[in-house]
Amino acid sequence: MTVMAIERGKIREFATATGAARPAYMDDQQAPVPPTFLATVVFWRPIGETLRSPQVLRACAEAGVTADLASLLSLEQEYVYHGPLPRAGETLRTAERLSDVALKHNRAGRAMVVVRFTVSFHDERGDLRAECHYTSAYVNRERP
Amino acid sequence: MTELVAGARLPERTFGPVTATDIVRYQGASGDMNPIHHDDEFARAAGFPGSISAGMLGAGWLAAYCTEYLGEETVRRFRTRFSEVVYRGDRLTASAEVVRRFEQDREPRVELAIQLRKDDGCVVTSGTAEFVVR
Repeated sequence: MTVMAIERGKIREFATATGAARPAYMDDQQAPVPPTFLATVVFWRPIGETLRSPQVLRACAEAGVTADLASLLSLEQEYVYHGPLPRAGETLRTAERLSDVALKHNRAGRAMVVVRFTVSFHDERGDLRAECHYTSAYVNRERP
Repeated sequence: MTELVAGARLPERTFGPVTATDIVRYQGASGDMNPIHHDDEFARAAGFPGSISAGMLGAGWLAAYCTEYLGEETVRRFRTRFSEVVYRGDRLTASAEVVRRFEQDREPRVELAIQLRKDDGCVVTSGTAEFVVR
């Protein structure tokens, strides 16, 4: 469990960086989080620990796929919110779990190891407020 | 305001052309400092002609597009899938179509099919978004 503080200044910065610099995000002291804001959890905890888990590294070794940063692609991210949106001033507790590891092939026919994992966000009362489901893949690229 | 019935389309919004500044500002804001998004040499070693934009920047633009029409307080689900890479200079257009109206957790909701495409029509990001509508 890692604690993540939802900060007003961070919401302003994120809204500005994503073309959403509107009063609801910029001026409200208790601004709600933008839909993909929880990506900033990486300032509080490393995300993708499960991408280095023994199960994933074993799958990559078996498929002959390099498990390094240059081979890692983000395929999909899904944010699901439960109850009221997290707001500036709140504190959330985060945890990460591995969901699935699968060997697939991309459009070019190259092997890729697809990893699904979820980061959950609970509030101080223990209520689940949000989840982010990540789908990432290690894929061998053709070197120039 | 567009009436949110199945098949209705929100007015489109254009982002870009994508600049290095857009990318590094998003990287700084989001904390994703993967060098593939700002270091051409690193990106070339990974097999790309140059550095590529961050998929989550496009997702963030799509989120900005949706919340502008549906409000900042009402998102319930936001899913984006990255199918093509984006380079500096690409112009991106966000669009959304209402898939259905439904009720979940005693809330009336709308589901949208959302996408971001380049000027040549190539879809770089697609997904679904659900918002509460009153």
